[in-house]
Amino acid sequence: MNKKRLAAWILALCLLGSLVSCQKQSGKTKYSAYYFDYFDTVTTVVGYADSKEEFDRVCESITAQMEEYHRLYTIYNRYAGLNNLHTVNDVDDGAHTVVQVDAKIMDLLLYGKEICTLTGGKTNIAMGSVLSIWHEYREAGMYDPAGAELPPMDALRAAAEHTDITQMILDTENNTVFLADPEMRLDVGAIAKGYAVEMVAQQLAAEGIGGYILNVGGNVRAIGSANGDPWSVGIENPDTEDTETPYIAYLHLSDAAVVTSGSYQRYYMVDGKNYHHIIDPETLMPGEKYLAVSVLCKDSALGDALSTALFLMDFEEGLALVESTADVEAMWTLPSGEQKYSSGFVAYTFTLEK
Amino acid sequence: MRGALPHALPENGGFLRVRFGEEMGTNDRKKIRNDVILAVVLLLLAAAAMLFWQLQKTEGDFAVVLIDGVETARYALDTDTEVEIITDGGGTNTLVIRDGEAFVETANCPDLVCAGHRAISRVGETIVCLPHKLVIKIAASTDAGGVDMAA
Ligand SMILES: [Zn+2]
Repeated sequence: MNKKRLAAWILALCLLGSLVSCQKQSGKTKYSAYYFDYFDTVTTVVGYADSKEEFDRVCESITAQMEEYHRLYTIYNRYAGLNNLHTVNDVDDGAHTVVQVDAKIMDLLLYGKEICTLTGGKTNIAMGSVLSIWHEYREAGMYDPAGAELPPMDALRAAAEHTDITQMILDTENNTVFLADPEMRLDVGAIAKGYAVEMVAQQLAAEGIGGYILNVGGNVRAIGSANGDPWSVGIENPDTEDTETPYIAYLHLSDAAVVTSGSYQRYYMVDGKNYHHIIDPETLMPGEKYLAVSVLCKDSALGDALSTALFLMDFEEGLALVESTADVEAMWTLPSGEQKYSSGFVAYTFTLEK
Repeated sequence: MRGALPHALPENGGFLRVRFGEEMGTNDRKKIRNDVILAVVLLLLAAAAMLFWQLQKTEGDFAVVLIDGVETARYALDTDTEVEIITDGGGTNTLVIRDGEAFVETANCPDLVCAGHRAISRVGETIVCLPHKLVIKIAASTDAGGVDMAA
C-alpha cells in the first residue's frame, strides 16, 4: 500500500511538473511589422501565424487596403486618375465641382454626417477650413520652433463660418459629392483612421483571418484573439513627464477596438505651451479638458469618432453619451493625471506589475 | 490549463482508486482523500505561481531598432551603450541604453516626439520617430509577459 501511495505521489508530482513547465505551445509564432506610409502615422501589425510567409501575406493584404483608403481619404495629396478628398476640396473658378467618388468615400462621408449628429457637432468632418489653418501653423512651428506662432483668431473665426455639414451634398444615387459652400473644406482626420482600420479588420475577419491586432496611430483593433488568449493592450501615459508609469491602463480585448485621442499625439509648442491637433469647434482652440480619452468598443470607426468628441466634451456630457451608446466604454485622463471611467470600463482592465 | 484540473483529479479520488483499485478500509480512504486535497492545493499553488511569474516577467532583454519596418540592430539592455542611428535622408537619433532602460537622447527630427518619450524597458514598449520611420521596441528572449500592443 505504501509503495502504491508513493507511486501515486510520484505520478501526481510529475503531472504538477508538466503543468508548471507548460507554456503556450500551439505551433503559431508571434510576428510584428511597422509601416509609415498611411495617414501620416505609424501602422503596427502584430499577429500569430504558422509561418513568416503566412504573416507576410496577411500584411500585404492589410497594407494594400490601407494604401487604398489612404489615397482616397487624404486631403494633402492628389493621385493621377483618382478622385479623392483632395479633389472634393478643390476649388475651380471660385466654386467646388460635383465630384464622382468611390463608394468607400461615399460611405465615409455618410458616416461622418451620422457622427456629427451623434456628437452634437463636436466631431465634424466639415471643419476643414479651420483645421487647415491650424495645420499650416503647426507644420511651420514644428520646422521652425523659434518662430512658432498661434493662428490669428480672426482668421479662425472667419473660417468657422464655413463649417456647416449640411452644405456637403451627397448624391448616393450617382455617387457624387458637392460642397455647396465654396469656402468649405472637408477634413476627415477625426474619423478616417478608425474607419479604415475597421473596414480592414472586417475584411480580414470575412476571409477567416484571426489572431491579428492592428494599431494605426492610436486606433487599435483586434481581429480574433491572441492565440486563444485576449490581447494585452497598454494605454500609454499621456503625461510624458511621468517616467515611472508607462501605461495608465492595461486592457484585455478580443474582436474589439480601443481608440485613444491625446494631446501628446500631434502638437507644436508656442512660448513653451503645447498646442495639439484636437480643435474644439466652439472655441476654435485645442481642447484643454483632458490629456487623453480612450474609447473601448466593437467598432474602431465609432471609437475614433467618439474619442475626439469626448475629448472636447464636459465629463458629465461625455459620460452620458457613453452610457447611452450600446457597447461603448471610456476612460478620461484629466490634466491632473486623475482617471475617470465609464461604468463598465474597469471590467476590461487588468494589472501588470513591474 | 485550468480546465484540465478536474479531469486529472476527480473529487471522489476515483483516479487513484481505479489505478490502485483493491479493497480499502475507511482509514485508507481518508488517507487518499487527504492526499487528493493536498495534491489539488499543490496544483493550485503551482498555477498561481506560474501566473505570478508570467506577470512579473515583463522587463525586456533587448532594444530592437527598426528602420522603415526592417530590423537593423538590437542592443542588450544589460549593457550601457550609446549609438547614433542614421536613417534614410540624413536623419539621426541618439539611442542611449542605461541602467536597463532605452531612450532617445537627441534627434534631428522636426517634432522631437522620440526624444520626449520616456525611457522604455518593458516588453512591448516602443519609441517611434515618425519623421525618420524609426521604431525602437523592447523585446525579450522568451515570449512572456508585457503587452502585445502599446497605444
Ligand atoms: Zn523623432
